[in-house]
Amino acid sequence: MNEQTATEPTRAEQARKVALAVQDVSKTYGATRALDGVSLEVTTGAIHGLMGGNGSGKSTLIKMLAGVVTPDEGKLALKGDWIDARSHTPARAKASGLHFVHQQNSTFPDLTVAENLALGRGFESTAVRSINWSAQKARARQVLDRFEIDVAADTHLVRLSPAAQMMVAIARALQDQDDTDERGVLVLDEPTASLPKHEVDVLLTALRRYAADGQTIIYVSHRLEEVTAITDEVTVLRNGNVASRLIGTEISHDTLVAGITGSTSGTHAGGSRRANDAIASRVHLSHAAGFRETALTLSRRTASGLEGESLLLRAGEIVGIAGLLGSGRSRLLKQIFGAVPRDDFEVTVRSGTVPSSDMRTAMKRGVAFVPENRLREAALPELSIAENLSITSLSEHSRAGWIRPSRERKAANRLIQEFGVRAPSTIAPLTALSGGNQQKVILARWLQRRPDVLLLDEPTQGVDIGARNEIHELVRAAASAGTAVLVVSSDFGELAALAQRAVVISGGEIVDSVGGPLTEDILNDIVYAQEKAL
Amino acid sequence: MSHTQDTTNGPVAASDAATSPAPVDAAEAEQRRKAVRSRTGKARFAGFLEAYALLVLLGVIALFFCFWSETSSTFPTVANMRILLASQAVIGVISLGALLPLLCQEFDLSVGNIAGLSAIMVAASVSSNGSVLVAVALALAIGLVVGGANALIVTRLHVNGVITTLGMSTILAGIILQRTGGLAPASDIPQAMTNFGTGLVAGVPVIFVTLLVIAAITYFVLNHTSLGRQIYAVGSNMEAAKLVGLRTDGLRAATFVVGALLCALGGLLYVSRAGGASPNVGVTFLLPAFAAAFLSAASVRPGRFNVWGTIIAVYFLAVLNNGLSLAGVEPYVNDYVNGGALIAGVALASVLYRRRTT
Repeated sequence: MNEQTATEPTRAEQARKVALAVQDVSKTYGATRALDGVSLEVTTGAIHGLMGGNGSGKSTLIKMLAGVVTPDEGKLALKGDWIDARSHTPARAKASGLHFVHQQNSTFPDLTVAENLALGRGFESTAVRSINWSAQKARARQVLDRFEIDVAADTHLVRLSPAAQMMVAIARALQDQDDTDERGVLVLDEPTASLPKHEVDVLLTALRRYAADGQTIIYVSHRLEEVTAITDEVTVLRNGNVASRLIGTEISHDTLVAGITGSTSGTHAGGSRRANDAIASRVHLSHAAGFRETALTLSRRTASGLEGESLLLRAGEIVGIAGLLGSGRSRLLKQIFGAVPRDDFEVTVRSGTVPSSDMRTAMKRGVAFVPENRLREAALPELSIAENLSITSLSEHSRAGWIRPSRERKAANRLIQEFGVRAPSTIAPLTALSGGNQQKVILARWLQRRPDVLLLDEPTQGVDIGARNEIHELVRAAASAGTAVLVVSSDFGELAALAQRAVVISGGEIVDSVGGPLTEDILNDIVYAQEKAL
Repeated sequence: MSHTQDTTNGPVAASDAATSPAPVDAAEAEQRRKAVRSRTGKARFAGFLEAYALLVLLGVIALFFCFWSETSSTFPTVANMRILLASQAVIGVISLGALLPLLCQEFDLSVGNIAGLSAIMVAASVSSNGSVLVAVALALAIGLVVGGANALIVTRLHVNGVITTLGMSTILAGIILQRTGGLAPASDIPQAMTNFGTGLVAGVPVIFVTLLVIAAITYFVLNHTSLGRQIYAVGSNMEAAKLVGLRTDGLRAATFVVGALLCALGGLLYVSRAGGASPNVGVTFLLPAFAAAFLSAASVRPGRFNVWGTIIAVYFLAVLNNGLSLAGVEPYVNDYVNGGALIAGVALASVLYRRRTT
């Protein structure tokens, strides 16, 4: 299989068996072209890697395959029959043997292995239609044997290692395939995102075995090392286009990075050279920010006391945290704020140290935190806009515990003007607003406190492009007023637009830093370079 | 922050179109404002209707019983009105006790039996030593202990509130049975206390005025203090409340404790009004109190549990039950009414909540 993968299905079919093919699929969301004429072929029995940075169209493509997203145009071939991709549905995906296992476990931790397997296909029942537990267990043991998973059928899933849980999920998806031609395609979406390092190898070994056995696998991951280790062919997406197709020995760290980051040189060394350049050009933190006063330091705690700063923010600075899914970037913000306990590093702000797990003190010391999930962690949905705003500043609006309504109302009116919130009135419930305006309210809620440090987690998630720019402006305005901003975003374009410099996080640790000016490509380079170093 | 200059100051934005980032925005805003204005008249009326529908319904039902031949001679009498106002005052106080934890989305199923236990202990205490002061202290102590226990179990041991208070309620029923043997104890309630329960001030039962005072205090604390706001925030989104630095466990605990105190107070009021206590009175409090607390979300502040909505709901149910009893319907009909009202209240509240938030 040495020839270059062709785009025309006919030519490719002559060369080898194609398990799944996609041709010229496009999908547009508003002004964003998520997929722009993407074609893809997956060889039967191969492990096909699907890679791409954030916003590359990777997840749209997967959702399209699952039948959850309807493309604007394109064709799709499963088991050789071409259909209009627009007519693809989840039921059709299932019927044609596409099995999806997502990183978020769809398994039930409190049930046994046997029960988890049965929930995928139905229970063995007795003559009176009650569950036949012994038959059920026997069947589960059979499946476990077939997939060579070394666990007992009556173990509760929660007691298994993460890798074993993932393998049970895979076995559940595949259990109904016979050892015939009827095998479908297994799609694994970031299966290792939440696995610790040593567990990854266990899973990869198992996947190799399944593939050797003839199972076709689409392996979606951002981890270069894993993709180079196990895939037979790779498609790299970038900005909704296929950036490169690689086969066999062409798959290397350098070629992958070149595809993901779009390094134009075209040589295999291009990606890493750029990464090296960027690392070399990183600036010493304390010098980069000039002479403004320190707003936040993180110091690692070791047996011998405190080690030097692993992160230092100066007043008025916007610093990005770049990391891949599962790198611990959101967790770091929560740890700084005190929403999640920490014991391995110390946080100091201008007015003192911030103790672990003490959000109230963190707030008093001038730390503000806008969490990632607005609906779950920030919104007080049926409370009014004014009430949502004043909740962080109740003492400002009250005397001896009594709220002064006129003050609260005035402050709310001032804030919605200042932050450009488009609201019918301040007494309307928060949910009367669009996502972008809700997010501005949450931002205003914190910025009215004039915090020294603002922790922002995915500040524009689920927000339209107009509101996104406005929110960026608000964050910049806060920074120029002296607030130090630490921002997490899975969208490196956003980080590049907002932050003057960035630190790279992997496995919960700050492992690198990049000086400005930032670009999306530099961030991708550095982050993926870090993946290799690990 | 000049870039945020926008919609709300219409003339400025319109005349300033050259410098404003997008003139279209201003025009759009103007249009939106017009739409809002034309909507407000109708919306205000609909809002009023929604907020006071239960009150209007209460009036309609009362009028009906005034003119219905079955009840026209018995319902619209001063004596009956006084009975109505006074007898429901106890339920009113207890339903406020149920309302408080409900604001934090916690159910306190022990409200009835806290009041019941308080009632029989108070009756026994004043009968034996005659001291009203001791009786009051005893009632408050019972509320504090039981409410504190509920609060600790829910917030420290993380036991589900329904389970905790169901268990607590059952234990309290056991204590009541143990103390009374299932029979109403002979009681000798001092005159001072029964005067309070049956007395009138300006023709209105003192005990009803007491309810209004307690409701007013609860209302002001919930709607005009920082504490009340925090309680509503916890009820709205506990995770978000935590992440803006609220002591969510403390607030939930406080609603259990203060709620239990109100229930114990309700028990005390019951003794002063009934001149004694029967061992199974607690059970009869639970359902109307809960029904009223839930129905509160269907009036005054639709979609939100609230104090005056609760009081209106208490009297709505009372008038309905009272009129039906006077008309001579079988007693079981009252159970239908109370049970149905509880379900209807929850259904209405959830519909209104969704309308407000989506």
